[in-house]
Amino acid sequence: MKKIIPFLVVSILVLGTTLLWFMSSGFSVSGVEAWQFVIIILLVAIGFYVAFSRLRRVNRGEPVEDEFSKKILQKASSISYYVSLYLWVAMIFVNDRTDMDTEVLLGTGILGMAVIWVVLVVFFKVKGLKNG
Amino acid sequence: MDNRIRELRARYDLTQEELAKRVGVRRETIVFLEKGKYNPSLKLAYDISRALKSTIEEVFVFAEESGDS
Repeated sequence: MKKIIPFLVVSILVLGTTLLWFMSSGFSVSGVEAWQFVIIILLVAIGFYVAFSRLRRVNRGEPVEDEFSKKILQKASSISYYVSLYLWVAMIFVNDRTDMDTEVLLGTGILGMAVIWVVLVVFFKVKGLKNG
Repeated sequence: MDNRIRELRARYDLTQEELAKRVGVRRETIVFLEKGKYNPSLKLAYDISRALKSTIEEVFVFAEESGDS
């Protein structure tokens, strides 16, 4: 259970904070904020899915994690770190040439990092880790 | 690296789930191993070989031997 509860807690915290943000903005969000809102909801949904699939594994008597799943997380994390560096350089480039707000820039960058990580995890779950 | 997990599993009438439980991994890991999409650690290779009553060399065929460089 100790590998399931953190997923649920973080997902609930993110969802709660997002709803608070949505309510404080008077339920009206601009174009970029609407996209950010949709991406956050998708990430929270993935978080809940991971938590419940782990719970199913526990009920089936399977290990929650094994060496393959751990290696996928390690490889996705290490590659997403490097890709995120390029993302932030790109965000700074965009910020220099547009009038994007700093909050929007930071939000987009952080969400971009999360999306890159999720995409890489899914990629390695499909492709496997032949040389990993 | 090629392997004969599927063949040996069939010989001992084991399902992927049963083999996974015996070696303490997820069924998904056995699926990826059989497809050749994952190279296991030495410990997992040893555990699988023991579960299939074979040696590591009988279960796993390394690149030079299989011609897969």
